[in-house]
Amino acid sequence: MRYPTTLSRLLVAVSVCAALGLAAGCSKQSGSAAASTTASASAAAQGGSPASGSKLGDLSQFRTIAADVSVLVAKGDLPGGKTRIKDLEVAWDEAEAGLKPRAADDWHVLDKAIDRALEALRADHPTQTDCTAAMTDLLHTFDRLAGKAS
Amino acid sequence: MTYASNRPAARWLNKVPAITFAFWIIKIMSTTVGETGADFLAVNAGWGQGATRALMTSLLAIALILQMRTRKYTPWIYWLTVVLVSVVGTQITDLLTDGLGVSLYVSTGVFASVLAAFFAIWYRVEGTLAIEAIDTPRRELFYWAAILCTFALGTAAGDLATEALGLGFSLGAVSFGILLAAVYAAWRCGGNAVLTFWIAYILTRPFGASLGDLLTQSRTYGGFGMGAAPTSLLFLTVIVVLVAVAQIGASSRARVETAE
Repeated sequence: MRYPTTLSRLLVAVSVCAALGLAAGCSKQSGSAAASTTASASAAAQGGSPASGSKLGDLSQFRTIAADVSVLVAKGDLPGGKTRIKDLEVAWDEAEAGLKPRAADDWHVLDKAIDRALEALRADHPTQTDCTAAMTDLLHTFDRLAGKAS
Repeated sequence: MTYASNRPAARWLNKVPAITFAFWIIKIMSTTVGETGADFLAVNAGWGQGATRALMTSLLAIALILQMRTRKYTPWIYWLTVVLVSVVGTQITDLLTDGLGVSLYVSTGVFASVLAAFFAIWYRVEGTLAIEAIDTPRRELFYWAAILCTFALGTAAGDLATEALGLGFSLGAVSFGILLAAVYAAWRCGGNAVLTFWIAYILTRPFGASLGDLLTQSRTYGGFGMGAAPTSLLFLTVIVVLVAVAQIGASSRARVETAE
């Protein structure tokens, strides 16, 4: 198997970088509004709806799951809450690379709140009190971060 | 000038691959694949970080034992070890950052210092840092210690760039790619081979991570939206093909040498 010469290798490397840069730039524009818009612009665009105006961007898909879990916990269905919150964990983990660069500090705050909720629901003997407290804290964190943008 | 150790009839041949374009491709892709695998176990499969760390460290110990027992470069064992070192190196940094709350500035600084210390000791003991002649157990242990450190450092430095500079994966892939091209150019213009090799090796960690993210992340965040499973499968296929080519090449050369 013959490999290309030094110069053509360098050209390949540079073109790959350029292509990646172009493609990344294009996909950014064609995707939904990036959170790089200023805080005031996003707050104005989304009005007062929670979780959509934070520095991390639109967190509504995550907040929706958290709300579902909260409802299940309120009904006393802790196993159901534990199952549902796994969806939040997976979705949150998948989106880490996309969300964290936007506002790393905010990301860590929310990440820790999610961890506490996971811990409460996954405890060996989960209690209604602890789970409710953890979920309330988590929902408040979502709302607080959204409020920060205004 | 040869760097091979002076022992008469050195027991080993060179234990690590020649540095070719294919070497870098496999290296970059194996980083991404290793992490996706570990992440899948920890989160999706619900093992948690602790159990995943324990498993990966055990697998690394086994792979290292296998690798140290070979007498010459054996592609599949070498690259399996690289993947596992990559995972464990990443996990060490993540444990420090997430588990123990160590600042990324501190971990980057510490790993850079530890790596420099490894090189200093390696050079004092062996008299050379050349990787064309990793042909004794001692040299190989230095090599793997350095590799582990580069993965921990690459993870810390990449995470630091993300958090301190808000460097996303798109700009990250381009930036680290450009840095890699610059290091390559520096080498071709006469730069020190050992220094440029190790700098490039460190840089491929955040480059591979950004590249993987660029492919897997949803379009909402500016990625190609391929998803973790398909991307990992693609990368794994490329790795398997390139390693198989290397392995077949190495095996057929061995048969030719034995026949002669």
